[in-house]
Amino acid sequence: MLATITVDDEKCNDPLSCRKCLLICPTHVLGLGTDVGPQKFRETDPNHFILRGVRFEKCTGCMDCVEVCPQNAIQVSF
Amino acid sequence: MCVWCDQFAGGYERWYFNPANYARRLYKIRKEEAEALGAEANPQEAGGMAVLGREFLEARERNDYEAMERMKLEAEQMAWGTHFGQVITLDEALKVTDIMYPISLLTCACRRSMVGVPDEENFTCRGLGPGRYTGERWPDTYRGGVHFLTPDEAKEVLTKLNKRGLVQSIYTFGTPFLAGLCNCDYPDCASIRTVVDFGVRVLWRGHYVAKVDPELCNGCAACVARCQFRALSFAPSRNKAYIDQFQCFGCGLCATECDQEAITLVERASLPSLANVW
Ligand code: SF4
Ligand code: SF4
Repeated sequence: MLATITVDDEKCNDPLSCRKCLLICPTHVLGLGTDVGPQKFRETDPNHFILRGVRFEKCTGCMDCVEVCPQNAIQVSF
Repeated sequence: MCVWCDQFAGGYERWYFNPANYARRLYKIRKEEAEALGAEANPQEAGGMAVLGREFLEARERNDYEAMERMKLEAEQMAWGTHFGQVITLDEALKVTDIMYPISLLTCACRRSMVGVPDEENFTCRGLGPGRYTGERWPDTYRGGVHFLTPDEAKEVLTKLNKRGLVQSIYTFGTPFLAGLCNCDYPDCASIRTVVDFGVRVLWRGHYVAKVDPELCNGCAACVARCQFRALSFAPSRNKAYIDQFQCFGCGLCATECDQEAITLVERASLPSLANVW
């Protein structure tokens, strides 16, 4: 079964420097993106980075990411 | 025959030895294309470097082979026109550093997107060609900066990363413009992951196939951890390394690690059954 992974972007406000879930996921299901396009001459603000479930086919439902998240921002359901 | 060599080698032995494919003229074309594509051209924004989205995974869940095939073909066509790669050996990568200029050291966008690797630990990519002179315009794409290398410095970096166990691959940005020379591994390289997990050829096999000489192999197994393509295993009953040549991408990582020189690279084209397996 394919997992559904939802992330509360308000709670997860700086995933690039936190990245606890990215490192703990045994199968590297999660990924980072930004919610703005590339901007000329400026770096994207940390709060525009977003975390998403990406490689759902590899999610085993272990819930390690849910548990490690200090902000309680991730939900995984099947 | 490699279709890319067929179309773009211009009389050179390989298409990535043809200096014209690194030329500035092509950079301009790709710039217009990228701007026309808009935000969609930004892999980071697309999120996590997924070449195939959830739609594909859902089709896979319901064994809808027709839909999967269609999406695979679409993804390949899209990649082949804009951004795809081919595995090359260390020797070939070193040769590239002598035929084109400039070469710069960059951070890897895949590893940033997959695991958020901090910039200082993430310098595994080389940007090729004049496009990188304008790197400061796009600080986000080039996080960590664009560091120009002399050909000797580039060779040193490539050799070090090969030693570390990372696969050399060369990428187009608006085919046939070659602008990326990366050092990749499974699972955090988006293209290795896509080709290994789904068989979608955003990364092509290289021009060689590795072969173990059972006489020379002493069973040390040093090579086994080197393969990023699930082609190399160890046969305990024979106490020898085993390579599935149909799965081999010809990166040569195993061969550079073997101190018995038991692994050699043979030309893909010399093997009738593999000559068209890319
Ligand atoms: S490194 Fe060489 S000698 Fe050792 S197992 Fe591999 S092929 Fe055999
Ligand atoms: S068997 Fe050797 S040459 Fe072939 S893909 Fe694996 S490491 Fe690379």
